[in-house]
Amino acid sequence: MPPPRDLPRVLRTLCPARPHVLSPARNAFLSMTTFAPSRRCIATTAAAPNNAAPSTPKRKPLTKEQRDFLSSALRVNQTGELAATLIYTAQTPPLVNAHPHLRPLMAHMYEQEAGHLRTFNSLITKHRVRPTALYPLWSVAATALGWSTALMGREAAMACTEAVETEIGEHYNNQIRTLLEMFEQWEAEGYEVGDEFRDLIGTLRRIRDEELEHLDHAVEHDAKEARPYWLLTSIIRAGCRGAIWTSERV
Amino acid sequence: MAPSRALARLTLLRRAQQTALRRPYHSYDHPAPTGIFNAHEQAILSAAYKHVPEHGFTAQSLSLGARDAGYLDVSTNLFSEGPFSLIRYHLVTQREALAPRREAILADVTASTAVPARVERLTWERLLGNRDVNHRWQEALAIMAQPSHVPASLHELALLADEIHFLAGDTSVDPSWYTKRGGLSMIYASSELFMTNDRSPGFGNTRAFLQRRLAEAGSLSGAVGSVTQWLGFTASAGVNVLRSKGVRI
Amino acid sequence: MVARPALRAATRIARRQPVASTYSSHNFCTSTPTLRPSTASSSSTRDSSNGSTRTTHFGFQDGISESEKTERVAGVFHSVAESYDRMNDLMSFGWHRIWKDHFVSSLNPGYSSSIPPKPQRILDVAGGTGDIAFRMLNQSHVVNANPNIHITISDINPSMLAVGKQRSLSLPAAQQATLSFLEADATQLPATIAPDSLDLYTVAFGIRNFANIPAALAEAHRVLKPGGVFACLEFSKVGNPVFDAVYKRWSFSAIPLIGQLVAGDRDSYQYLVESIERFPSQDEFRGLIEDAGFVVGGKGYEDLTLGVAAIHKGMKPL
Repeated sequence: MPPPRDLPRVLRTLCPARPHVLSPARNAFLSMTTFAPSRRCIATTAAAPNNAAPSTPKRKPLTKEQRDFLSSALRVNQTGELAATLIYTAQTPPLVNAHPHLRPLMAHMYEQEAGHLRTFNSLITKHRVRPTALYPLWSVAATALGWSTALMGREAAMACTEAVETEIGEHYNNQIRTLLEMFEQWEAEGYEVGDEFRDLIGTLRRIRDEELEHLDHAVEHDAKEARPYWLLTSIIRAGCRGAIWTSERV
Repeated sequence: MAPSRALARLTLLRRAQQTALRRPYHSYDHPAPTGIFNAHEQAILSAAYKHVPEHGFTAQSLSLGARDAGYLDVSTNLFSEGPFSLIRYHLVTQREALAPRREAILADVTASTAVPARVERLTWERLLGNRDVNHRWQEALAIMAQPSHVPASLHELALLADEIHFLAGDTSVDPSWYTKRGGLSMIYASSELFMTNDRSPGFGNTRAFLQRRLAEAGSLSGAVGSVTQWLGFTASAGVNVLRSKGVRI
Repeated sequence: MVARPALRAATRIARRQPVASTYSSHNFCTSTPTLRPSTASSSSTRDSSNGSTRTTHFGFQDGISESEKTERVAGVFHSVAESYDRMNDLMSFGWHRIWKDHFVSSLNPGYSSSIPPKPQRILDVAGGTGDIAFRMLNQSHVVNANPNIHITISDINPSMLAVGKQRSLSLPAAQQATLSFLEADATQLPATIAPDSLDLYTVAFGIRNFANIPAALAEAHRVLKPGGVFACLEFSKVGNPVFDAVYKRWSFSAIPLIGQLVAGDRDSYQYLVESIERFPSQDEFRGLIEDAGFVVGGKGYEDLTLGVAAIHKGMKPL
């Protein structure tokens, strides 16, 4: 049975944004067939440099579907990062109280999440995307999740991080894949991909890698020891998927 | 009937409702999508718009516009919404006219960098866009209030409120995004109505009305903000007191 | 007339396959390349040079030649001409009158901003019983006070035209004077209608019976003046799935029965229902109108009663 934690790891290996150290044992667990679509990432990333063709740069207007996809993607990302910062904010005091050695790790993870939130805040303002209408609901839910898992102990808190980051990593990968498909189509039709989108995909890759780093930290800190592990993670992951689905729409 | 088709239609319907809610992504790199009027509609409407001060937002103006643009009397059938198309043309062109003039409009408010001041200035400028058709605007409001035109009218109002906030440099990314735009929509609509009865020189009374409404909304949202802040502070202080007593929370 | 078991079988087949797939704008009505032996053309009464070997559908029956469809449609309307309006009332609970009133008042024929009003020439296709034309006369003469219009009622079917002629006798003489009748095939209008000569081309509840809809649209485009308007009122697709289910149940079970009871002619009404089902959706039909060279405004159509019927309009560009 493949443990769920290996899933994002596989995705990351298939779409490398920067060199990432992986233990050979984990690297061996690559099942190419399961995630065949992501192989596309490699192809397009490799093809990017020969874009310097002397043809005049012409760009295609975004279709309605593309604009809808982009606005819902940015909205759900902003919501997700907001929830992540709130989870870490709520987890930190009880957790650090009980395990003072976790203080630097929690501070590091919180700092990264806060950075992501700033990034997406500026992106949704710049691109005129409205924030989620259920903002207060997600704030309350994220705080409650962070606090309650922290009260359940270190393992539960780490299992929460693991579950959330697994879903988020997968979610970012889906977005990256859709963007790459868009690029591929534009390039096939002889259009140019603007810097706006190259930057966006770079940002998404960087953030995805940082999220998956948090996942590694959580596993290193005994997330798997949480009891009952499967119940906790499957509830949280289902909640995350529901929240993503809703935020994409509302 | 094939169930797959019913399903497809359901998804289409749902998608249509969603897109009405969605604020589309705004790209700086890629060309903007085409507007809601095609070239022929644009030709007739821009010609018809010149007749509005004299003939109002009516079929007569549309028909005169069609004639001026070289079309036939029946060509106005291109507009299934009739005179409402002319109203929408006014709303769209006036809204789109704000962005190119942003620098000029905000030139004298650079000293005060506050967003509310810029919102006030832009809203006033948009109200002045009604100057030439102000005496016809009550008729237009009556047409916009017809049930079949209400959704499109509200959509235009929401787009205007968003445009003003965007041009004013508003960067809210929380629920205040909604309250600010909703509040401005109501204030704009009431100011517009006030303006139709304003006989003061340069619509001075309307501007005073607008500023009063904006100040009220500002103090209201300020009060709400203070209460929220106080609640948050009290709650976190309470939690910290409990923690200092050794409660493990 | 139609063989019932064959029709039933065709109905079953058509229900089983998703109908949307049968209407891509290219293969919608005709499949030219199939060079079938022209057996049907020998029995054709109307010699249409290009129509005899092309195939179309009649209700849920596929693969019949265009000339045979023309002939069969003629048969249907011969048999229902007398009771046509009574049946329409029963079938739509009287709603068709409201749709027609709305259609004509939205077109607003005779309206002109010029003084004196400019003359208008209107062709009402498939308007045999005069329903639309008489309303347009009234709108122009009475509402818009513009007697300077001329309406030609055209129909392929002399029985329907005869009903219209009879009814027109009760109109005021001034209105009768601006009315004329023409027996013609809409896919091949006669030379008496000159190219670029019409202000308005209307067709209400007729276009789905045409053997070749793209050809009829091309003809409309040919005879209209630049700036002239093609307007079509036709049954269409219901958007709301719940209402659609109710409506389908009503139309497929009740309407043929009513036809049998009131007009004594079940098959003709079965055809009417099936032809409504086979007609393209609003968006597909708008595509056909645009393909013919018209420009449409906004979304290009207006739904009536949740899409049971729809008004499509297209303007011939300058």
